[in-house]
Amino acid sequence: MKYLIRNKIKNQKSKIKIIFCFFVLALHSCKEETVDYQANNCKRNPSFMQSFGYNPSFSYLTTSDEKVMGLVLRESTQAGNPNAPVAKQMQHPSWLTGGWLAPILIASNGDIFTSPAPFINILNNPISNNNTIYKVDSKTGVMKEFLKLPSSDSINTDNPFGIIGMALLCETNTLYVSSLAGSKRHNENGHIYAIDIATGKIIDQLTNTDAMGMGISYVTGKRKLYFGTGRSSDVFDITLDKNGKFSGKPSLAFTLQDLGIRGDDKVRKIRTDNKDNLVVNAMEFNYNLIAPREKQEAVYTFSYDDEVKKWVFVK
Amino acid sequence: MKPKRNSNLCYTTMFMKFIVFGFALFALAACNNNTTSTGNTNGYDKDVLASIISNADSLNTFPFVTNRVDEIKKALQQPKPVLLCADSLNDNQKQAQQIALQDSTFTKYLFDGATKQPYRNEIFGVYPARESDATGVKVAYNLPTTYRVEMYNYALNNTAIALVDVQQQKTVHRFFQNQMQPDVSASLTKLAIQIAAESPEVQQALGFKPTEKDALMASTKTSLNRSRCERSKHLCVAPTFVKDGKALWAIVDLTDYKLVGIRWTNVGTTGKAAPMLTEKKLQDDKITSCFCEVEQALQKNGWNMKYMLTSSDGLRITDVSFNNTKILRSAKLVDWHVSYSGTDGFGYSDAVGCPYFSQAAVVAWEPPKVVKLTDDANKEIGFVLEQTFRSEGWPTPCNYNYRQRYEFYNDGRFRVAAASIGRGCGNDGTYRPVFRIAFEGNQNNFYEQQNNTWSLWQKERWQLQSATTNYSTEGYQYKLQKGNGGFYVTPGKGQFNDGGKGDNAYLYVTKFDAQKDEGESDLVTIGPCCNTDYKQGPEKFIEPNAESIENSSLILWYVGQMKNNNTKGQEYCWAESVLENGVYTTKVYPCFCGPMFTPVK
Repeated sequence: MKYLIRNKIKNQKSKIKIIFCFFVLALHSCKEETVDYQANNCKRNPSFMQSFGYNPSFSYLTTSDEKVMGLVLRESTQAGNPNAPVAKQMQHPSWLTGGWLAPILIASNGDIFTSPAPFINILNNPISNNNTIYKVDSKTGVMKEFLKLPSSDSINTDNPFGIIGMALLCETNTLYVSSLAGSKRHNENGHIYAIDIATGKIIDQLTNTDAMGMGISYVTGKRKLYFGTGRSSDVFDITLDKNGKFSGKPSLAFTLQDLGIRGDDKVRKIRTDNKDNLVVNAMEFNYNLIAPREKQEAVYTFSYDDEVKKWVFVK
Repeated sequence: MKPKRNSNLCYTTMFMKFIVFGFALFALAACNNNTTSTGNTNGYDKDVLASIISNADSLNTFPFVTNRVDEIKKALQQPKPVLLCADSLNDNQKQAQQIALQDSTFTKYLFDGATKQPYRNEIFGVYPARESDATGVKVAYNLPTTYRVEMYNYALNNTAIALVDVQQQKTVHRFFQNQMQPDVSASLTKLAIQIAAESPEVQQALGFKPTEKDALMASTKTSLNRSRCERSKHLCVAPTFVKDGKALWAIVDLTDYKLVGIRWTNVGTTGKAAPMLTEKKLQDDKITSCFCEVEQALQKNGWNMKYMLTSSDGLRITDVSFNNTKILRSAKLVDWHVSYSGTDGFGYSDAVGCPYFSQAAVVAWEPPKVVKLTDDANKEIGFVLEQTFRSEGWPTPCNYNYRQRYEFYNDGRFRVAAASIGRGCGNDGTYRPVFRIAFEGNQNNFYEQQNNTWSLWQKERWQLQSATTNYSTEGYQYKLQKGNGGFYVTPGKGQFNDGGKGDNAYLYVTKFDAQKDEGESDLVTIGPCCNTDYKQGPEKFIEPNAESIENSSLILWYVGQMKNNNTKGQEYCWAESVLENGVYTTKVYPCFCGPMFTPVK
């Protein structure tokens, strides 16, 4: 009998301990972190521009010239206007390393991150290399492999895409990279990786998510990563913690469905404008290689309505 | 007596076969024109499988459409070639319509600027203006007597809007909305429903002939769902019929007055709205589910084969036999190499294939077609299996259209062919399609015609067809010998009555090796756009060490070379838009190439 009572007391103590732990956990999780608005704009001009004889105020980098593969540095005839006539352009030999490239992300120290993306065909973009992040050194301008993301075991020739979007959280110097590598029509196998730029290590990841264009905003009092997917016109958000890791699960923020001339656009890029609106560049995307000139880009603006706690389409 | 266990195993195997066969049969049946309302199984959406992409002719569908086309033709003869609003209008609305048509800005797009030919324009509606309509008005107007007149231009797919104050008898404001379509008039709504209701595809899907009131949806403002024909850039709406808790969308093209296609969807009551069903979605979903993920069987006139659309090798045929004799393991179109002579190294290597999850740069828009092949006397001599691949913007510059065609003749001949239909990025382009044709049998030999004798090729090699090429008296250049049979190979020299002017083709012969994948599975881009010599890709399976090909399993690679031309009267690999009945249609000048295979007897 004593044994039973002792055990009963012991069990009760254990239960109290567990309840206390849950209580502490609940308190902790109920305390939502509120973060002040930040522009999240920390990019700095790479110093190699000047050493290559380019005026940073007039110069820009591009990967979207249909006749020039790789990264290109151009000096425009008008500061801040990439549509003005080009005064001169150059390519460091290493900038051709990855074949055709897509995203360009400039970090706070001027290092540039980019990755391969097939253009019309995969002749210069083998599928085995489509999950590689390259870094162009801010000082030397030399492009080298920064990180090869884990290769999916479901890599297949029906899906020629790998890395497709990049975003940077300035606060933590975390690089977010979306990849469609290994995704199939009936299996969504994409990822968003959170990478510590300083160490080159993956610190967190979202799986089974075919994220495309991404953007970071502090608009709702939280650090949030917004991303579109290759599967639909929906735009999701996920909270980022103070270390740049994902917190909670993605939730639907808004949709581009039925907007624009196509009605099924997918997100290419998301940025925050000076009115805290989310500006979404979107295009047709069906996991194929139709020529980009057909991918007429549309721009949609959404603003956050504090009353209804929703993003609403503005234009 | 066999052990019971084995017997069970046998039944299990048979049962599995039955299931697999049953499912394949279902998929194939569903991919044809039988549509029923259902759910989702094994990754294949049954509603998608059962959807139908219609084959109806433009402007030539029903007698009531013929009447409408006559009205259009009459309107196009008028000084103001505009179809007036056919809805019941009051006197003020009628006046507003007439006043708007006197305004030179509102009527700016009645004619093509260059040819002065009339565009098809139609007033869709005349409505009392709202205050919000008048934000751009800079002159005095009286809102109660002001009307909003909406005119749609079918050729340019734009809308002209005029605000007319009938009290002042003048247009007080006008503007245009590009690539926008106004709400359709009541008469066009009725016409759309009539086209849907009269279409056999809709009647078959519903199981009865619907009436106008069957298309009325209580939950929506009108009897039409919105839809888009984002590819054809035509005016489309979707009369929708609800049956057994599901909705049948019938997309109707009001530019061409035809049914685009039909598909069942679920009628949800809560949650996010289902995506709008559009022309492109209907086409892409159907093609992917039925022809990219499922191999189809084809048996006709003694020919037996399977076919499917690939990720990047076009329409592939496999296990081809004629009168039970195996002929081909497979044939496909690996790449299109397009180079432009105006700029060194400028061009594209285009793969053709499936619309979703593919390496295709130019994708299939419609299902493969099987059509009758007739001679000059209209006698049936075989059939054609054909597939078209298109860029979205074709025939505007830098957009492409490729056609792939397999011809099968009742006498055992067959031809593997393809054409470019322009328009590409210039008039200095050369198109080079790369075919891969894998023959059955492992004791084949290959010969070329030389001075009336057949000369054996001992090793893997290539050869260019040229002006000095030797042909047999029948026009054969090569022979693939298989035992006592085989096939003669006749390259295109402009003799096939399909517009082709000669192939100027490279032919490569390589040895099939089951241990190495030299293109048996879907090939990634085989070569660059712009090589003008034999280096089109297949040579990589020959060089540096050509293997013996005597008594071997052989693969033929055939690369035609066609230069495009936009000179009037000599157009080739070209396409251009022409105005016909007030809307743009496309005039095409295909450049077909590809060899004919004639049985050795």
